[in-house]
This record gives sequence, structure tokens and C-alpha cells, in this order.
Amino acid sequence: MTASGRGWTVVMLAPSVGLLTVFVLIPMTLTIALSFYGWSSQTPFASARWIGFDNFKEILSVGSVGRDFRQAVGNTCIYAAASIVLILPLSVALGLLVHQSRLRCATALRTILFSTYMVPMVAVALVWSKLYSPTEGPINQVLGWLGIAPLPWLSRPDTALEALVILNVWQQLGYFTILAVAGLTQIPETILEAARIDGARNLGLFWHVTLPLLRRTLLFSGIIVTINAVQVFEPVAMITQGGPVGATNVVTYHIRRVGIERSEGGLGSAMAMILVIVLSAIVSLVFLAAGRRSEK
Amino acid sequence: MEWRVKNRLTILAAMVIGVSFSQASAPSGYAQEAPVSISFLTHWPPETVAKLTKAASVYMKSQPGTTIQIRAVPFADLLTTLRSQAGASNTFTIASIYDLWLPELVRDSILVEAPDANAAEVKKYWGGSAVSAASVGGKVFGYPNEIDLYGLNYNKKLFAAAGIVEPPRTWDELAADAEKLTKRDGGQATQQGFGFINSWAAGVVHPFAALLAANGGALIVDGKPALDGKAATQTFEFVQRLINAKVANPTMGTADANTTGPFLDNFVGGRTAMIIMANWWESALRTGMGEAAFADVATTPIPVGPSGDMSRTISYTWLTVVNAAAGKPQRDAAWKFLSWLNGPDSGENGASAMGDLLVSMGILPSRQSDVAAFSQRLNSPFLAGYVSQLKAAKPFPVVLGGQEFTDALQHHLEAMQFGQETAEQAQEQAQRDAVSILSKAAHQ
Amino acid sequence: MKKAPKRIAQCRLEVGRGVIKAVLYILVLGLSVAVAFPLAWMVLSSLKTPAETLRSPPVWYPASPSFEAYAKVSGIIDVQRSLLNSVAIASVTTAGILVTSLLAGYVFAKQSFFGKNLLFALMIATMFLPPIVTLIPLYRIIQTLRLDGSLAGVILPNLASAFGIFLMRQFIAGVPDELIEAARIDGASELRIVFQIVAPVVIPPLAALGLFAFVYHWNSYLWPLTVLQGNDGQYPIVLSLSRLLSYNRSAINTNLVMAGATLAVLPPLVLFGFLQRSFVRTIVNTGLIG
Repeated sequence: MTASGRGWTVVMLAPSVGLLTVFVLIPMTLTIALSFYGWSSQTPFASARWIGFDNFKEILSVGSVGRDFRQAVGNTCIYAAASIVLILPLSVALGLLVHQSRLRCATALRTILFSTYMVPMVAVALVWSKLYSPTEGPINQVLGWLGIAPLPWLSRPDTALEALVILNVWQQLGYFTILAVAGLTQIPETILEAARIDGARNLGLFWHVTLPLLRRTLLFSGIIVTINAVQVFEPVAMITQGGPVGATNVVTYHIRRVGIERSEGGLGSAMAMILVIVLSAIVSLVFLAAGRRSEK
Repeated sequence: MEWRVKNRLTILAAMVIGVSFSQASAPSGYAQEAPVSISFLTHWPPETVAKLTKAASVYMKSQPGTTIQIRAVPFADLLTTLRSQAGASNTFTIASIYDLWLPELVRDSILVEAPDANAAEVKKYWGGSAVSAASVGGKVFGYPNEIDLYGLNYNKKLFAAAGIVEPPRTWDELAADAEKLTKRDGGQATQQGFGFINSWAAGVVHPFAALLAANGGALIVDGKPALDGKAATQTFEFVQRLINAKVANPTMGTADANTTGPFLDNFVGGRTAMIIMANWWESALRTGMGEAAFADVATTPIPVGPSGDMSRTISYTWLTVVNAAAGKPQRDAAWKFLSWLNGPDSGENGASAMGDLLVSMGILPSRQSDVAAFSQRLNSPFLAGYVSQLKAAKPFPVVLGGQEFTDALQHHLEAMQFGQETAEQAQEQAQRDAVSILSKAAHQ
Repeated sequence: MKKAPKRIAQCRLEVGRGVIKAVLYILVLGLSVAVAFPLAWMVLSSLKTPAETLRSPPVWYPASPSFEAYAKVSGIIDVQRSLLNSVAIASVTTAGILVTSLLAGYVFAKQSFFGKNLLFALMIATMFLPPIVTLIPLYRIIQTLRLDGSLAGVILPNLASAFGIFLMRQFIAGVPDELIEAARIDGASELRIVFQIVAPVVIPPLAALGLFAFVYHWNSYLWPLTVLQGNDGQYPIVLSLSRLLSYNRSAINTNLVMAGATLAVLPPLVLFGFLQRSFVRTIVNTGLIG
């Protein structure tokens, strides 16, 4: 490449690479460094005291700090896993419904589904907290019509997290349905025809032909669901505040409480480090498993 | 894309960017010359903020050159706002804070000591416990404003229906009355004889602390947690007793981010007979129940426990403080405003504007002259029960790590409510957590 | 004689298909109602009286719908200003993302230099980073730049997006090299090539990225909250919504909160309404996964 070409390269890369470096990579480095210090978040960086692995030791200990963080990580994992288990199959099913049924009203369904993704999570959280109200909410009322006893939803530790998962599924389903439709559209009609000629029908066709061809879409969807799940914040902050008994305490909410509210910047950074390590491990495992599968 | 469209978009974008950056360079809180601009950060609801704004405008008329801006955030955001805004360029000058946060904010040099004149004023016109709650290391850091304490609220109508004439005076009476007042369906209470609160730190821990105080105990003694003492053991066991008797239904006690929710709705709706709560929820009860039904609500002192000699309760205060990061002219203007706001000249009949503001929310003012000026208002059936306990109230311990200590204790008490921990387990773990939290905070 | 069984069989097939179609129709209708329900509830609740919102069992339709809640909301929060703030944040951020992603995507797709793949991998890795991990140090950096409390502080870190770079690289890679070579031979500068040759070809994914970025930053809560805390003159509408929650210590505010939520929800929905058909067609036809 010519010298001026290289000049252009730098100019064109500078904005994005520069911005990402200053506002993502550098803070990331600071977080890594701060996890080895005791630091109160309002004070200047210079006042941080080196304490080595003390923060990590505290997180791994049996005290309240460790217990609360482990609970937050556990809750986040359950939240993510439950979301994946619900969203992926539903998105494929709805994708099929929208894509193949060739009903005009299916387009309306697609629009409605996708519109829920456009709505701010803050509004979603507030509305659903009213929907879930044990006595004044319509959800328990409808359950009553179906002969089911009213459920405690956000008021019990064993149901609160699940209630938030349903909220999450409702909001995100539209986006992943569209992705599923995209994946389905990419399957060449010729393959499906060939399979039909070979005698494959409906469920068999779907299971043995369609689904494997959707693998890339599902992998992508699964990863995005996980990334979104780790970032969940508004429903917890606006409705449950981590309760009851910490059943809805999730990592983003907890790290913010420790790092900003309690001002324990070093401890919060250590927690963030552990989160990144766990997340990287999971994503890497998923990629590895998918990579090995596709070699078959 | 067409060049013309692109040009227009570019200009529009430039305008928007220009507007955004101009916000950044707008005159911040630092004033260089005579006109001073200060801001007041609070968590109060809009009606109260309106009153504060009115008082501020009255002050501004007499003090031209000083502008006061009021900033309100929801309570759940107040502490994070205080902490993240502390060093900001457009930071607040005055803030209303919960006394539990004081030690850490002082340790982190976020707040500035009161000048001698103001400190002397506080010591002169406020009671001993209010002054000590507003001080760290003997130095006064702000003007106490509201004092809140806990009493046993009960529904007279439900009491009459159950044939109970007098509210309970001892723990045994409380348990017996709760049993009589409970209606159940399929094992769970549909009408709670006694309601617990969950999902909100103060709602869980403070009633517990009040019961403990009425049992002659305390959460922290000489800076060390006392959750393993005899008084505490009895309190944990009493809570367990109520839970086992199923006079409370935990799903009816949930609170949400702005301290409303099922626990409030159920008391308002007459489905909870007794609950330990603070005086400041008077306005919520009034609006929810309407004046007629609100007349059925009364307050009685906390029932006395087996190790207690008399009824006691716990109290906490809020105070108005000044930001250390504000410039000197603003700090001076702030202290001047606070002195006026809390002084007898700003309100009517010798009351202060702050007192008037607080009483309008059903909150008790802490300045002695205000308590006198509002004595009639404070004598209402609802508030009288609280005012009578003011003398016997012990302040909720204000120590470094206090908020984290409260959160940990909340965790175990809630676990008890939902049957995840027994009284013994909760007590043992709460004490262990408390020791570790307080010693860590003391060494930071 | 042979024709009769065939016709019966055909008849059965058509009835069968008709039944399936009817079932599907009901399914789609039912799902549409169920999914739209929460938003419908939100709007209906905003028109109720405070007493109606507290009724147990709940009241579905307001007896006499009124816009009183909306009037009250405007008294508590500055709706106009908040909406303008949201527009400013979302549109400036989106414009930035589009430009930076286009440029960087072009470089990574069509140019080569030492360490290109490593740099690309590094940039893309940041896509998986949850924002909470960098929140506190990032805020201190913004504070050092004296941009805290301002819209610029909210916008600046988000002007580049790893996801955007990834997306544009995928699509620009599909642009025929001959097109670019021809332009180079004609003497066009690299910048001109990007904007005049490449951009028109990748308009669909650009539009998709634009819509996603706009909606994401319109709805963004945690970062604006961290930067702007307390400065409610700068609050976007989602933060002003939480200001409504400072209707503390008062039980009756459901219709107000629902009215505020409706106001926050409308602009992205309207935008989506305009763009959705072309947008969905983009994703479906081009396949976002590339």
C-alpha cells in the first residue's frame, strides 16, 4: 500500500479505535489494576492502597460479602439460562409461524413482537410491577379465571427471579424471532425440497433438516441472550432492589451497590474481574463446543 | 446520498453536538464574583419540593445575589447521587442526608464541618441525641431536620371487630392479640394480625431494632455488635414465634423501590391489623385511606419485652449538610441559608420554614422551638403516640459501615420471614457478619 | 369410479388444511393479544383515576378516560426537555456510530496492514464486556474531562461501537473488490471511496445498525444515570421517568407512572412504525449473521 494509503488507514481507524481504547480498554485496565487495591470510589486514584489479593480472598470467603456476590452470580446464571431455554425454542417456533404460515395477520404478530424490543426497559419494568401485583394486578386475575390460585410473583424469593425472567422473555422475544426468521429465510428451498422428496415430513423435516441448518443463528442468539442477561439492571433497581432475601440480586446491581453506594471501589473492581473471567470462560466454551460440532 | 441532504444532516448534527457541549461548559457551581448560585439536593416528593422552592424564593428576595436551585432524586438514588456527584463540576452545595451515611461521607472528606456560629446554634436549639447524630468526633456537620421513630400502628376498627379493647403493652399481649386478629385461608393469613415488611432495608431492620430496644437491648454497644446478647436472643425468638404462628403473610409485606407496595396497600386496605412503622408514612396512609378511614389508625408505644423495663423505640434523623467540594462563597451562602431555613424567623408563629415543611408531610421536626410551635398538630391521634416516645427513643447506631451492617441484618431477618433460616441460624450469622463488616469499616 | 375416492381424498385434504389454517389463525391472534397486553394495560392505566388503579380485583377499562395523569406528569417533569435530551443523545450517538463503524469496517474489510487481525479481535472482544465492568473508572475519566453532568459526557464514550465495526466489516467484505479498484485507478481518495462507492452499497445494514443504535441509546439507563445523576435538566426521558418515582411516601401514583411510561415509549415505537417494514426486510434478506 502507498504511504498515503497507510495515512488514510490511520485516519479512518483513529476515531473508532481511539474511542474504544480510551473509553473501554483503559477503564478495563484500571478495573483490573484497582481490584488489587483498597480504594474509596470518590477519592482520587492516588489514595488507593495496595492490598494484593485481599479483595479476592474476601469474595471467596464465607462472610456476607462473598455470600452476596456468589448469590448475585448464581442468580445471574439462572436468569441467563432460563432466558435461553425459553427464548431460543420460542423464537424458532414463532419464526416458523411468522415465516411459513403465509397468513397476513402473522405480519401483525411480527410487528407486535418486535415492538416490545423497542420499548425502554424502565417502562417495561414499571408496567410489569403493576401487572404482577398480587391483588391489584391483572395477571393473577386472569389466572383466577383459568381456575389457578394467585401466584406470589415478585413477593416470594422462589418466584421473584422467575417473574423477572418472564419479563425479559416478553421484551426480547421479538428481536430473536426476527433473527430466527432471517435464519429460516437463508435455508435454501432446494434442500428442503430434496428432503421432502426423500420422504421427510413436518416434524422429521424440522428436526433433522431445518434445525441443524439453524445452528449458526441459534448460536448467535444464545450469545446475545447471555450478554443481555448479564446486563440486566432496571427491573432490579426499579422494582425488587435485589430482594426478597437477595433472590433477585444480580451482578450489575450488586457491583454498583458495592462500588458506588458503599464506595468500595477496589472490591467492586475485583467482583467485576471475576465476572469477566466467568463470562469469558462460558463464551469460550460455547464457541469451542460449536466449533467441534460443525466439524462433524 | 444526495449532497444537499447530507449537508443538511451535517449541519443538524453539528447543531445538536454544539448544544450538548455547551451544556458541558455552562457556568458550573463555581462563582467568581458576588452573585452566588447554590443547589439543594433532596429526595422529597414534588409537593414538598414546591414548599422548599417557595421558602427559597422568599429567602432570595431578601438576599439578592444568591440563587438557590432545588434538585430532587428518588430516595433509592439519593446515596448514589451524593457519592457520584461529590466531586463533579456542577455539584450540589447542600444535601439532605440520612444520619447513617454521615460517618463515611465525613471519612471520605465529602462534607465540610459547620462553622462555629452554626455549630453553636445547633447545640443550643436541638436535643442531645439529635446533635450527636449530626456530629462526628464531636464536630457538628449539619442541621438536623427530621426525626423519625417507630411505633406500633394498629387499626382500631379491626380491634373492635375482634373484641380487643386495649392495644398490647407487652410481647405476650402482642402475640395473643395478633392471633385473635388473624384470619387465615388454607394455612396462610389473609388478614394479618401483625405485619412484617420485606425487600426494604429500613422496613425490615428498624422494627426489629425497635423491639430489641423495648427489650432493653441494642444492636451495637461500644462500637461492637451485640446481636449475641440475651436481649437479642429473646428478640430473634419472639420474631420466630410470630412467624411460626403464621400471623403474618410474607407475600403481603413486600415493599418496592419507593417504599410503597403491598405492605402499604394491605394496611391501607384493612388487611393488616398491626404493624411497626415510622411516623413519616402518615401522608401515604392519609392519601390511601381517605380521612374517614384514617381516623381508625392509632399509634401505641412499642410493647415491652421480657427483659425490658419500659417501652423504648429507636429513632433516626436526617440532617442538611454542605458539600466540601463547593467553593467558599457558596459554602458561606449555604450555611447562611440553612441557618435562616431552620430558624424561627422563616416560618409562622415562631416555627421555621423547615419545620413547616416537615410537619406538612407528617414528619416530626427536631428543633425544640418547632416541636413547641407545632404542638397542636403533633397531638393528632396518629402522631401523639410517636411524640410521647421521643424521650425514650434510642438513636439507631451511626457507625462506619452502618449501611452495609443494616443490609446484612436485613438478609437474615428476611430469610427468617420466608422460612429459609431459623432464629438461631439468623442470629449467629447476623452477629458474625456484623463483626466482620464493622471491623473492616473501622480499618479502612 | 376411480375419480370418486380421489375427490373425497382431496376434499379431506382441503378440510384438513382449512382446519390447520384456522388453528394457526387463532394461535396468531391469541399470541398477538397476549404480547400486546402489557403495553395496552399501560396505556389504559394512564387514563384511569387513581382510585381505579387501586381497585382489587383490577379494573381493565377506565370508566371515564381522562388525560389528567398526563397533565400532572408535565407538572412534575419537564417532558419536552427530557424528550429533546433523549433525541440529542440518541441521534448524535447514532450518527457517530454510523460514521466510525463505516470507516473502521472498511479498513478491516478492504485494507491490510501488519497486526490487522489482532487489532480487529481486540476491538471485537470489547463487545462481550458488560458495561458495569468499566463503569466506575470510566466515570472518573469523564469527571477528569469535566464532562460529568452533561450530555456530552453521556455521548462521548459511545460514539464508537464494537458491534457496529463487526457488522460493517461483515457487509463491506461482500462489496466487490473490482468496484473499489476501479475507483482507486480513477484517482479517488480512500475517504471518497468509502462515502461514495461503498456506503451506497451497504445502506441496508447501515439503516439496520442506525435503528438499533438509536433505540438502544434512547432506552439506555445505567450510563446516563451515572453521568447525569442529580442534573435533571439534562435527563433523557427514561431518567425522568424514574424521577416520577420520587412520588415517594404516596400510595396513589399508578396512573401517573403509567402516563410517564407511555410518553417514554411513544417515540421509539413511532420511529419503529415508520421504519419497520424496510428494516425487517433488511435483516431477513441480508441475514444479520452474515
